[in-house]
Amino acid sequence: MGILVDRDSRVGIAGIAGLDALAMVKDMKRYGTSVLAGIAPGRKGETLQEIPVYDTIRQAVEAHAINTMLIYVSPAVTLDAVRETLANDIKLLVIPTGNIPAHDMLKVIYEIRAVEARLIGPNTVGLIDPAARVKLGSIGGGSAERFFAPGCVGVISSNAGMTAETAYMVKKAGLGVSTAVNIGEGALIGTTARELLALFEKDPQTQAVILFCEQGLLAQDEIVEFIEQGGFSKPLIVALADRFAGCMPQKDGFGFQASSVGSCDHKCPMRLKRAGVYVAGKYDDIIYLLQELQGVKLNYSEKPI
Amino acid sequence: MARLLENDALRILVENKLPVPRFDYVDTPEEAKQVAENLNVPVVLKALAPVGKRGEPGALVFADEPEQAELNAKTLLSSSIEQYPVKKVLVREKVNTDQELYVSISIDQGLKCPVVMVSAAGGVDYQEIVLRNPEKIRSVHLNPYKGLPDFVAKEIWADLGLSGSVLRDATAILTRLYQVFCRYDCNMLEVNPLVITKDSKVRIISVDMVIDEAALFRHPELNHLVQMGHDSEYHRPLTALEKNIADVNEADPYRGAVMFMELSDGDIAFMCGGCGGSLLMLDTLLQYGGRPANFLALNGNPSERKVYGLAKVMLAQPGVKGLFVCAGIANDMQVDVVARGIARALQEEHKGCGFPVLVRLAGVNDQIGREIFTTAGVEYYGEEITMTMAAQKMADRMKQL
Repeated sequence: MGILVDRDSRVGIAGIAGLDALAMVKDMKRYGTSVLAGIAPGRKGETLQEIPVYDTIRQAVEAHAINTMLIYVSPAVTLDAVRETLANDIKLLVIPTGNIPAHDMLKVIYEIRAVEARLIGPNTVGLIDPAARVKLGSIGGGSAERFFAPGCVGVISSNAGMTAETAYMVKKAGLGVSTAVNIGEGALIGTTARELLALFEKDPQTQAVILFCEQGLLAQDEIVEFIEQGGFSKPLIVALADRFAGCMPQKDGFGFQASSVGSCDHKCPMRLKRAGVYVAGKYDDIIYLLQELQGVKLNYSEKPI
Repeated sequence: MARLLENDALRILVENKLPVPRFDYVDTPEEAKQVAENLNVPVVLKALAPVGKRGEPGALVFADEPEQAELNAKTLLSSSIEQYPVKKVLVREKVNTDQELYVSISIDQGLKCPVVMVSAAGGVDYQEIVLRNPEKIRSVHLNPYKGLPDFVAKEIWADLGLSGSVLRDATAILTRLYQVFCRYDCNMLEVNPLVITKDSKVRIISVDMVIDEAALFRHPELNHLVQMGHDSEYHRPLTALEKNIADVNEADPYRGAVMFMELSDGDIAFMCGGCGGSLLMLDTLLQYGGRPANFLALNGNPSERKVYGLAKVMLAQPGVKGLFVCAGIANDMQVDVVARGIARALQEEHKGCGFPVLVRLAGVNDQIGREIFTTAGVEYYGEEITMTMAAQKMADRMKQL
């Protein structure tokens, strides 16, 4: 189990010919992901990293029944690649590309919602399911097995660089990860932390979730309300980067409007605590909180060997 | 943030057939006098700075006579706004205002769609309108494909009490502003105030236009116009050191994205992978009594040359007495490449004994990285210690100096 991906994930890569995409695909395949097709216009018939290349997504779907698409094309053409993917009825999309124009992202998100597809990213290292040995994106690089043990803890990180680190804290606590997801930085992302909590709630393998976030990016009220309404009932540990966050340039803040529009809030984590969320004072507290939880709430039989 | 100076934003509005009072901008008091003479009416002078706030004390002054315009321009040109020295002054025709309105078009980050907000009480900061006259605000969220239909714009203004020719004019202006917002990939387009004049004309008086940096590739004509800077409550221009870092970054723009900030009163140069991790480690360093002098968040997969260049600039900051390199387990960043860049910078800057360098990096090619760092005399750790432990050790090393 776990969320979003499993052994039946049949993966295609739009933009496979890019250098970063090639490195990423190599690691994904080596980890065990079924990467079946690449898309690079005008290059049908080639083979890259032992993966057949097609001109269009439709060709790839017809040949390999692709149901999951990584879109690693340049920012200028990402919106079109999303449309092509959705037109071919693929419902799980991951976009590693960053720096996509905001107005394009508004359209991407609109189209994703219209057909109830699921988008992770943009600007993400992706996600990983260690039990199924599936990873979508560069997450964990070429040594994912070193840092991601299979287990019962869901990991959500708003920050690319801290995703594998947070999963490794789970391993240090003697546990493993059900699914780890980097949701992407900024506000205009396809799937939010709250939406992932809803998925983790339904996943029988997941018994607790860790969320790493820069405080300014955390839609704290949204998460607290979701918990209070019963949307998420499993133990949740939140690790925040907060003290310095207040003086950082907020790339997505809009001057004085930021206070009345958008999801940023800079309040202290008291509301989280009142809602029963475990807030890690120091990052290492994740380990101790998980170890405490093991005796109380986590089922030992789900622990990895 | 890529903000346009107001004269450039006004020019774009004029090009898009929006009604703006006659204006020009000047960089000397003499020119201000000349412009006022040409306009031949009372004028308003406004200091130009890329700051998105209204009513900076002294930033807006009136002049009935050209000589007064000259004097006032002189004062403005010797002032600065939030650390930005004023280099240009906007001179525009003074308008006889009957009513001030407010328009902003931006992106609602929660609902992830464009939002138009309009108020019949303009001329003051938006937050004040929210506090004082919430009943005078209308907002509407839009489908990014359908945009703002004329009738919706008309309904908004009609709800706020506009009628007659003013309603028709305000409707046309609002829909056109929305087109500008889309056409120029704005993050925000704010008109404050939009005024109804005593002779019932609708005029745009002041505009704040912020372009999406990520979309600048579609607007090469704006590239040299946008004013980059940190945008936060600590809004300020880039420091000399920050400009040096930006130069190194731009020399090699395709690999590794950089965010850098110079901090005051610190002694640790701090290089991290990714912004979230760097914020977290800044918190942790502080908790253990460390004093960061700067921080650099390095994303993606930077080249050796870039790492070397960045490290050189960071080490050159006065007051820096140690280097801390610490990142979460890498997805793309190659530890060996980073190691080569840093080792070379350390050698060239003659940082040896008595200059603590502590590295905690794990992931891609970290076995080779470990060798390079160790050979260079650097205290290196992989995933055997946590980031928190690394920060604690670094703070300890600095205390031992």
